[in-house]
Amino acid sequence: MKNLQLFRVKFRFFGVLFFMLCISILSFGQTQSVRGVVTSDPDREPVPGAIVSIKGTQKGTVTDIDGVFSITATPGDILVVSFVGFTTQEIAVVSGQTNLSINLVNSISDLSEVVVVGYGSQIKKEVTGAIQSIGGAELKDMPVSTIAQKLQGRLAGVQINQTTGQPGRGMQVRIRGQLSVSGGSEPLYVVDGFPITGDINSINPDEIEDISVLKDAASTALYGSRATNGVVLITTKKGKAGQTNVNLNVFTGFQKVPMRGRLEMMNAEEFAQFKKEYYEDAKRPVPSIFQDPAQFKDKNNDWYDALLQTAPISSYNLTLTSNKDRVNTSAVVGIFDQKGVVVNTDYKRFSLRLNTDYKISDKVNIGVNVAPNYVFDNTPRSDGDRGQGIIFNALHTWPVMPIRDEKGELTLFNRFPAETGNIFAYPNWVRSAQELTNETTRLNLLATSYLEWKPIKNLSLKSTFNVELNNSRFFFSNPSTATSAINQAIPTVAASIRETNNNISWLNENIATYRNTINDHSFEVLAGFSNQRFRLDQYRIQADTYADDRILTSQAAVNINRGGTFNAVQEWSLTSVFSRLTYSYKGKYLFTASARGDGSSRFGVNNRWGIFPSTSVGWVLSDEEFLKGNPTISFAKLRSSFGITGNNNIGNYTQYALINNTVNVAFGNTLTPGAAVTSLDNPNLGWETTSQIDAGFDIGFLDDRISFNYDYFTKNTTNLLYAVQIPQESGFTNFNDNIGEIKFWGHEFQINAVPTTGAFKWTVNANISFNRNEVISLADGIDRVYGSFHITKVGEPFGQFYGLQKLGNYANEADLANSPKIPGRSTVGSIKLQDINKDGVITFGGNQDDRTIIGNPFPDFVYGISNNFNYKNWDMSIVGSGNHGQDLYMRHLYSLANLDGVFNMVRKAKDRFRSPTNPGEGIFGTTVGGGNVTGIERDWPNSNFVWDASFFTIRNITLGYTFTKLPKAIRSARLYASAQNVLVFTNYWGGQNPEVSMQSNGLGDGGNLSPGVDLGPYPVPRTITFGANINF
Amino acid sequence: MKKYSIIFLILLMTFTSCEDFLTVIPETQLSSATYFKTEKDFVQAINGAYAPLRGYYNGPAWLLGELHSDNTFYLRNVLFGAVENAENLADFSVPISNGTTPNSNVLSAWRTLYLIISRCNQVLATIDSVEFNADSKNNIKGQALFLRAFSYFHLVRYFQKVPLHLIPVPGRDGSGLPLSEEAAVFDQISKDLTAAVPLLPQKSTQLPGRVTQGAARTLLADVFIYRKRWSDAEQALAPVISSGQYSLMPSYALAFPKNSTNKNNAESVFEVQFREGPDGLQGNFLYQHLPYPLTVAEVKSLFNTTNPQPLDGQGNNIPTPDIIAAYEPGDLRKDASIMNITVSGRPGNNKITPIIKKFQDAHAQHQNHGINWPVYRYAEVLLLMAEALNEQGKSGDAVGLLNQVRSRAGLGASTAAGQAQVREAIFKERRVELAFENKRWFDIMRTGRIQEIIVPYGQRIVANPLNYYFPPIPGAVPRNNVFTNLEKFFPYPAAESEISPFF
Repeated sequence: MKNLQLFRVKFRFFGVLFFMLCISILSFGQTQSVRGVVTSDPDREPVPGAIVSIKGTQKGTVTDIDGVFSITATPGDILVVSFVGFTTQEIAVVSGQTNLSINLVNSISDLSEVVVVGYGSQIKKEVTGAIQSIGGAELKDMPVSTIAQKLQGRLAGVQINQTTGQPGRGMQVRIRGQLSVSGGSEPLYVVDGFPITGDINSINPDEIEDISVLKDAASTALYGSRATNGVVLITTKKGKAGQTNVNLNVFTGFQKVPMRGRLEMMNAEEFAQFKKEYYEDAKRPVPSIFQDPAQFKDKNNDWYDALLQTAPISSYNLTLTSNKDRVNTSAVVGIFDQKGVVVNTDYKRFSLRLNTDYKISDKVNIGVNVAPNYVFDNTPRSDGDRGQGIIFNALHTWPVMPIRDEKGELTLFNRFPAETGNIFAYPNWVRSAQELTNETTRLNLLATSYLEWKPIKNLSLKSTFNVELNNSRFFFSNPSTATSAINQAIPTVAASIRETNNNISWLNENIATYRNTINDHSFEVLAGFSNQRFRLDQYRIQADTYADDRILTSQAAVNINRGGTFNAVQEWSLTSVFSRLTYSYKGKYLFTASARGDGSSRFGVNNRWGIFPSTSVGWVLSDEEFLKGNPTISFAKLRSSFGITGNNNIGNYTQYALINNTVNVAFGNTLTPGAAVTSLDNPNLGWETTSQIDAGFDIGFLDDRISFNYDYFTKNTTNLLYAVQIPQESGFTNFNDNIGEIKFWGHEFQINAVPTTGAFKWTVNANISFNRNEVISLADGIDRVYGSFHITKVGEPFGQFYGLQKLGNYANEADLANSPKIPGRSTVGSIKLQDINKDGVITFGGNQDDRTIIGNPFPDFVYGISNNFNYKNWDMSIVGSGNHGQDLYMRHLYSLANLDGVFNMVRKAKDRFRSPTNPGEGIFGTTVGGGNVTGIERDWPNSNFVWDASFFTIRNITLGYTFTKLPKAIRSARLYASAQNVLVFTNYWGGQNPEVSMQSNGLGDGGNLSPGVDLGPYPVPRTITFGANINF
Repeated sequence: MKKYSIIFLILLMTFTSCEDFLTVIPETQLSSATYFKTEKDFVQAINGAYAPLRGYYNGPAWLLGELHSDNTFYLRNVLFGAVENAENLADFSVPISNGTTPNSNVLSAWRTLYLIISRCNQVLATIDSVEFNADSKNNIKGQALFLRAFSYFHLVRYFQKVPLHLIPVPGRDGSGLPLSEEAAVFDQISKDLTAAVPLLPQKSTQLPGRVTQGAARTLLADVFIYRKRWSDAEQALAPVISSGQYSLMPSYALAFPKNSTNKNNAESVFEVQFREGPDGLQGNFLYQHLPYPLTVAEVKSLFNTTNPQPLDGQGNNIPTPDIIAAYEPGDLRKDASIMNITVSGRPGNNKITPIIKKFQDAHAQHQNHGINWPVYRYAEVLLLMAEALNEQGKSGDAVGLLNQVRSRAGLGASTAAGQAQVREAIFKERRVELAFENKRWFDIMRTGRIQEIIVPYGQRIVANPLNYYFPPIPGAVPRNNVFTNLEKFFPYPAAESEISPFF
């Protein structure tokens, strides 16, 4: 059904023409009049404009807007019913049967479909770029809050990871592995032609008709300096020709964190046993509380589990579409309500969209789309490092510490006497989750409008004016009874943050399009110019120390925190000219060229304008004589493209030397304002440039029952936007410059097949992509950039894990004596590391460094598979996807395997080294010797932190049943059950989510140069829902 | 055609206004293009140059200058790892590899001092091109020259040869410079200070807390003494003593600024200004100079804050038995400088632990106090002068100055006679008078007494770890690499060495 309505619009005129032609033919009719209704499978919607003809004759008719036709035929005649995008059906006319019901099935081949491309659309057969599109209908049943979750596993060359389970957040989309050193790496989202600046997740997925993902430079170059990360085009719903449709789509269900996959921590008894052994091994007296671990047998406190709940999720959408006379309207009203699996998480979205197109005359069209929505989101400070994330903190809390007291009340905080080795005070994290407020309220408005004028045949002049408004309010508060920080005794200091962000982005585009076909030459010329401007106003007040926890207003605070209180403005502007020529000869030799010129306020005055050209060619081999009518190969196309695109995600004022005028000082206890230059200017600063070559082919077999696509790409990103570290003797930490080069290349395979047709229909789509990257150069004199446990180095892929290589633990005195070691620190049973530089001593950092690359956060390949089954009224779909061969850095082991027993520990630490005769599993070393010994394995990043995180996840299984016998008011009805994140297959043991893979949660060591860090984020639940989809 | 003309016109208008449309100046932040134009800009810029002093004295200054000496040590807490950055300084095991070290405190000293230098360079490079009141301009220039010289004086004593930045860096090129010879750095320091002296007003006419002529002269004298230019030092200091701007406070305890009072008192020549409160101008060094762990009650009894929190980790700058023993009997400074507290969380039977008292004062908020750090006090002016005189053979005059300091401490006149004895007496007097004021390491290294003092100090620690606050826990003993790095100068910070092509 993809893009069907677009096609219907296009072909309506031909349909009407044909209809009139047929009326004149009708007079030839003889014996019996046959009436029928043509509907589409499986939703049983009427198909207007379908052609019904009698085989072997010139007799025929066209269905009306209700899908009804009437034709005079003789019994024994064969009726041929056809419509674009559907498999043609033949029905014999039986004597006396005057009412036919014909259900058209989607055709296997989608080559005639229309694909949305930048600034227009193309017939799929003639597309020369690497574009993949997906219809909204394919994604409709999935019970998730974000669009990206729906796309997981369906797109070749697009890696989509869910880095956290927080509702509405954490989706990371990387097209063709694109990465920037410091600029953004998310694709550009374009909604109805408008590149948006706000959160794509605030858009109700039910409003979406179609999503096109532009991957190669030829497809994206028309978006110029914003195109390098790929472009996602989203088209919202429009009415279908001649129809009025009311659709109700509801689902409700629940989410739960499965036991399987959780990070296995010690329970109270195991922890007490560990502590007992710890003191025994150190030959120190065992604190009384740990002398009898069995006493904790039934007194376990699972702090992680205590934060979780089974949470409801529900969604209600009402869609009204109408396309009659001169008005095409669609309205979508949606309510999405999700509680999170971590207590006190709440995500709600109320959305409305009203799309209207009005045809003033044959020459003039206008249209207005208005889509306001309201998103409320309260998520406890769940994710992040110690001090920030309560999930991380909960994992660390001793399981012998009570969650609830004898009366069943939540404890305030726990702190054991110092002789137990308890260092930190542990606030009650359940209380923290319940009592901390961390809410964001967003009010968004997306409005697009256009005026189109066709002064002469084939020429269209279109002017658009689009506005995006976002207002977001953030409120954080912790009363004196709760905190997200570890080692805070309760009562603590009550604090609050209030932040308001208002942004407005407007865009004006003016485009002229001329298309014509002269003999065998078809061409389209497009030219336009546009202006876009963005402004963000930010207000923030941070305050603390309150007399009363109930009133956390700014004025009730004793302190207004100066560092956290500010207002700020962010602005940018972009002026562009662009043009494209599309040419085809006989529909088989295809050529496209485009160019965009972007002037951006973000770039230095000496480098303000950039030109981004592209070209692509295609050759439809199957239209050539030598392949025409080939019984096996039904379609074959070769395509290739080249183009240059840019990335302008560098912040708005990076080119300027900025003065910080709050570098204040005290003189004699009087606050005195001070100022300092805090950055260096660079008038030459420009965009990142990526030149990309793509070559691929599309091939169809057996009447396109099997189709196969392949793409190879190679791209070089140069002039990387990077804050180059400079010696700080300069007084500055870095200089914003365009440096270095990264090469990306990859292979993408996609196969669509229909193994069975007929009553039991099965379609399958599978894709696999291999992405690689290599750093070709960095700045002059710099061949590597270090992170805490990452390195980005010339000749290697980006962001590799870097540290010491673990060989095991020193097995005994002889092993210790004969192996390189750390003078004064290594002991029997402590971690044995590889002496990379063979100097006989293990050294971390400095000139005798033994560090090496210890893991790769990037997968060898990513893959996805989706299956659709139809049997009679039943339908079923299964979608799965996975990453293979990537490693994760278990950052949380730093403290969750602290062998000094400071925190609760991973269960694997039970099998640590205790003596040469009891060496354990080999993962964790001896506890004897204190921080001087145990500190090596936790403080020095090493391969013990790096684990394979390959996974395959069954994303979604949906089972539906469509009812056929229905009351008259209901046109169709379908009930379904859907399960999301059904199963994760992985050997990764560091936590519930192997997809944290691309980076950490933006906290701690996050960022492009340090991907693949696990800090134990918000878990991704399994969701089970039941829904109904009813058309009136 | 008319319609086309309109479109053409719109097109034309768009492009002519293009450069304006594309020039977006930051609205809520100043940029260099519009700054350094008025007197006010320069006043604020010189104020900004003082700001890093807070971080320097709250951290690296005492870590490199006091903990790295025989005056203070750390209190080992075996539950904590990742404390080697402070430990390495205290027990003279700063790792060195090809002349560089990963020690984070060495790095932060380097970076903080150069931050001051770059801010001073910014002021000095632009101030002469702007016309404004000459007195005000001279005052600002004098402060900038002082702060630059001050920073280089610390750098050159830490690292000997350092890059000499005298103008703002233009961009990536020029951001790193070759190492300048020690003598060249000292020449620049003397030149800057000699220029600063006449530009700066006396303390009585300067805003309290800012650099004064007296401060510039004292710093210059300190530089000369380091260079053993004794008569130059005497000449620099004489006007300070005769100016009438300074005097010793009546008691030693009163010499030190309190949280909000007694700042920039009559004895103060130069002190780093802190201010308590939420404005980010506070210090928390009192909390770093404590034995850990401390309970809420113990913290409360020390500082009487409204929101005391327990403290954990490993404490530093704990007075050693050596400094405690260095006070002569009857020295009033001992009890004013050091006090004993009970640390209930300390393993073993000995819970009584000495801490530095001289800076202690109550304050309102946990980890947030406004106690200024005394950099130069008049007492030191007297001791510097005594040293300068003694080294020129005027031992009698020197003893007179020395006795001024001793007499306030409740001690009788020094019995030292002759240049050698007086030299030793001054050296000892400096240790107790200026204890915990980050003078000790510089005194030891500039007088060439590292081997003589630090080696036996190390032997005492290794022989009696319990006396030096190691817990009575098996294995909790000094690491086997202690007292292995007795170099006069610190290695260069590795993180800077990685970036700079010159070292």
